[in-house]
Amino acid sequence: MFDRLFYREKGLFLQSFHPATVLVYLLVLLILSLIYDHPLYLLALFLLLALLIREVDGLDAWEGFLKAGVFLMLVVMMVNPLVIRAGKTIIWHGPAVPFLGKLDISMEAVYFGAASSLRLLVIISIFCLYNLMINPDRVLNLFSGVAGKSVLVITLATRLFPTMVRDLQRIREVQQLRGVDFDTGSLWQRAKKYSGLYNVLLLSSLEGAMEIAESMQARAFGSGKRSVYSRNMIRPRDLFCLGGSLLALLAAVWGLRYGYGRYTFYPEADFLIKDGATLVVLFIVLFYLSVPLLLSEGWKHCRFLKSKI
Amino acid sequence: MPLFKVENLTYYYPGTEKPALKNISLEIREGEFLLVTGGSGSGKSTLARVLAGLIPDFYGGRIGGKVFFRGRELRVLDRRKLAREVGMVFQDPEKQIVQSCVEAEIAFGLENLGLPPDEMSRRVAEVVSFMNLSPVQDAFTADLSGGQKQKLALASVLAMQPRVLILDEPTSQLDPVSAEEILNVVKRLNEEMGFTVIMVEQRLERCFHLADRVLLMAGGEIICHGSAAEGAREAVRRGLPFVPPVARFFACLNSPVVPVTVKEGRELLQSYLKGNIPVTKPDVPRTNHNSTAKEHEKNSIISLKNVWFGYPGGREVLKDISLDIKEGEFVAILGENGAGKSTLLKIMVGLLRPGRGRVYVHGREPGRNGFKEIRKFTAYLSQNPNDYLFQETVEDELLFTMHNFGLKDRGQVDEILHRLQLERYRQRNPRDLSSGERQRVALASILVTDPGLIILDEPTRGIDLGLKSELGQFLREEAAKGKTVVVVTHDVEFAAEFAGRVVMMFAGRIVAAGEKHAVLGRSVFYSPQISKLCRGICDGVLTFAEAQEQLGPLLVAKPAVLITNTGEKAIWGLTGGCTPH
Repeated sequence: MFDRLFYREKGLFLQSFHPATVLVYLLVLLILSLIYDHPLYLLALFLLLALLIREVDGLDAWEGFLKAGVFLMLVVMMVNPLVIRAGKTIIWHGPAVPFLGKLDISMEAVYFGAASSLRLLVIISIFCLYNLMINPDRVLNLFSGVAGKSVLVITLATRLFPTMVRDLQRIREVQQLRGVDFDTGSLWQRAKKYSGLYNVLLLSSLEGAMEIAESMQARAFGSGKRSVYSRNMIRPRDLFCLGGSLLALLAAVWGLRYGYGRYTFYPEADFLIKDGATLVVLFIVLFYLSVPLLLSEGWKHCRFLKSKI
Repeated sequence: MPLFKVENLTYYYPGTEKPALKNISLEIREGEFLLVTGGSGSGKSTLARVLAGLIPDFYGGRIGGKVFFRGRELRVLDRRKLAREVGMVFQDPEKQIVQSCVEAEIAFGLENLGLPPDEMSRRVAEVVSFMNLSPVQDAFTADLSGGQKQKLALASVLAMQPRVLILDEPTSQLDPVSAEEILNVVKRLNEEMGFTVIMVEQRLERCFHLADRVLLMAGGEIICHGSAAEGAREAVRRGLPFVPPVARFFACLNSPVVPVTVKEGRELLQSYLKGNIPVTKPDVPRTNHNSTAKEHEKNSIISLKNVWFGYPGGREVLKDISLDIKEGEFVAILGENGAGKSTLLKIMVGLLRPGRGRVYVHGREPGRNGFKEIRKFTAYLSQNPNDYLFQETVEDELLFTMHNFGLKDRGQVDEILHRLQLERYRQRNPRDLSSGERQRVALASILVTDPGLIILDEPTRGIDLGLKSELGQFLREEAAKGKTVVVVTHDVEFAAEFAGRVVMMFAGRIVAAGEKHAVLGRSVFYSPQISKLCRGICDGVLTFAEAQEQLGPLLVAKPAVLITNTGEKAIWGLTGGCTPH
């Protein structure tokens, strides 16, 4: 059931980047989503992410991530107008409530809530894209040289997680057939039943850990200094993508210096498009950020480009 | 100079007073294929671990005697150097994979050896293509099948380019096709690449003939070592089951030549029986089964009518299954991996609901939470007995099930412990027992409710031939008492020996079902070794006892002049027989 949320090798272009490239690209996206206030800019980032996620065949997984996000979004949208009093354009005069005072809901507060929610969805989408685009093994491989043992522990945990989920399901079925009803009884009784379930899992996992350790020792683990086997390759596509990411960041920082990407909500909401430069800066940043997307399309449709990147 | 030389080796695991190995002395030549066999607790895996340098380094314990590798004592060898020379593959593929990606797993040992990146890349590439792992090179290890995982474990060891390959029951957890694949690779490594192979194995019918030498162990001692034929004769003489059926058949008849493959066996049989071949199918007594009329009178315990099932988002696993299993039947369900056997069992116990079709168990139609309606009458043993064990003592394990069903008759606990020979372990922690004993405890924990229907998923996986025989006997007795037994298995020998009826599945469909002789006797690939030996000579023979009964009198009748394995002529006249295992 969790399968679709994790990385799957699909042989897609966007999955072929060097992990460092992907990390830099996603980091730039994350920084921009945090420094931009402008709803239009955030919306543009959200749409770009939607296209990227579609390109890695991950709309199903995105749906799962968004379900959790939408709930948070509704909470933010409902709570913000109730507690913020800075807005000037009152759209509803509510009653006075102890501690909170008069419940006047302003247009600006609703607007701010919506923009914050959008930022939240953008951040969630970035993590979703990370899961779809990058093999965690390769990311860990990047850090093997500096933190070998910690990386190995994380790798082992990653590798054992799906196995443990399957084991848990099997043990649950076995216990159900031995007369355990997990859905009946008081909270305490249920907790006791589940403790039995996890007990079996823990005992089996500990035994399994010994066997894995033995297999590691048989393959000379701990016999001296380790070397690192890396499968990561730098291709022209990585250079393009890194260049695009850095240029997007530079353009964004330059734009922010002149106020493009900033937005004033209180006391009165700013214009969405103040001037033509707002759109021009947005277009430039978006263009640089779209490099992986453009390359992916080119890879699919242009044989020349395919051979060069 | 021998590759390995073992002198008076004795070893005790930590906290034990009984030696796991007693006075072992042994020499292993370079390039040899040594097969080590014996029952559970015979010390074969311990010996393998000593040779791999894991005992006492990893396990601790007390050790006496000496082990030399290429003239140098093993204990003084640098661990990294030893790992370059001796590689070991373990039993459970699930428990020896460290990395989440196939290629990274192959490189794991190489990283531990501290090899430079270029050397690692070359070795990984070589092994991937030799083991034909290219299609899964970038796959997640968790997504691989059991057979692929074991291939990966072997590849990971081979990448380290050891001189010696030690394999501890590498096929015990695999289906026959995957097992065959692993054994073929091992054979090639030994014959074409000169690897020294030391293999601990119980599936003898597939590897006995590969061995240059067979080592038979019992109670921590070597009781016989010699050629495959000598090993077979000695095992038969001692009444041990660790011989493939064809070899046992001839060794029991005191044949001067003991063939170890079906081909050799057939040649021998034909040369002896020439002109005297029974052309018609013999009237093999079909065990104790009642007549067809009586069968019809029996109550139907499981009835599946046009059952279809598919997992959400997945392919159809079961397609139009109709099956009727009656009271007192012992049914074996055979088929390749992914044929839908385990899903069928889950439908039978109500853990899954069919998409279409009807399922009746004990006359009830399980609805939502179907297992609640039928679980009191149904015992279900999954593939992994460890899933059942979490109580402090064996007795508590049985009482846990009884308590859940509100049963209070402690006499039932005594009886089931007695029947499964577990009385002496009553107060022991089940996790301290051996794998065969754990399986019996798991079985006891579900049989304590005295169910009418016993369903087992791959119960013979990973247990030795002796325990397998005991389990089969036990289940046959239960069926004789009127209980219904359904077993999913890859083990054709087990099904042929103990089941009454066989159901064969393929791609979610039942392709054959009926009395075992009718189904297995007609199959070429899904037939026991004895049946393959007798095909065309005495059709319809499935078991060792039937072969003795049908062919014995013909072979006793006249002596024959045979060419022995060493090329000498021998007069063969039968002088005795032995009991089947």
